[in-house]
Amino acid sequence: MNHIKLLFFATIRDRAGVKSLEMDIPTDLTIQGLKDKLSADYPNLKQSMQSVLITINREYAFDEAVVPPNAEIGMFPPVSGG
Amino acid sequence: MQPSNLPTFYSITESEIDLNDLLAKITLTSTGAAAIFTGMVRGVTTRGDAHETEYLEYESYIPMAEAKMKQVADEIREKWPVVEGVAIVQRIGKLYPKTPTVLIACTAAHRDTGVFDAARYGIDRLKEIVPVWKKEVGPSGEEWVEGDYIPKPGE
Repeated sequence: MNHIKLLFFATIRDRAGVKSLEMDIPTDLTIQGLKDKLSADYPNLKQSMQSVLITINREYAFDEAVVPPNAEIGMFPPVSGG
Repeated sequence: MQPSNLPTFYSITESEIDLNDLLAKITLTSTGAAAIFTGMVRGVTTRGDAHETEYLEYESYIPMAEAKMKQVADEIREKWPVVEGVAIVQRIGKLYPKTPTVLIACTAAHRDTGVFDAARYGIDRLKEIVPVWKKEVGPSGEEWVEGDYIPKPGE
């Protein structure tokens, strides 16, 4: 198992109800697998997982990427700064 | 001068944006021009979905946002090697109409060097890849503003 930390922002944080979450995941889990797991474990997040942007260690990451050990995973909607 | 010696300043801050301080940071003895873009909270919107805004509440994934601001500055230098200094600042927190929220400034020796385009690129790129979000609060309630850009691998 890999230990990871999830950080939620903006709409995703509102739906999650928390700013961050730590969890253990299987060593070969991909971003898609992580989204599926969160959708199953946290029904409030299911809809958000369709369009969420995901980062691994502060770089944008995509569905096929495998989540590395001790990863810091960011989850948020398309950005709206300025 | 090598890019590593050129001034690049970027930050996410809760403090007031100080234009004079930022300009001083990115002005060299060889600098003769600065293109500055700043955005502010608009209290009354007439274009498109007309509405009023009481305030905007900004938040950021700060360490990633600052890393992406550096990336934007690096991209500017790659596209416009004549650019001397780059400053990129995003203010976060609760910000009211007329308050500057973001500033991007690029300096160069002369104004006809592409420095206007460089600053334009900077603000456009910030709005694509720098993780900052704003919640809009107005007479009819509050709503997160969501962008529409999906970053590609390597961005």
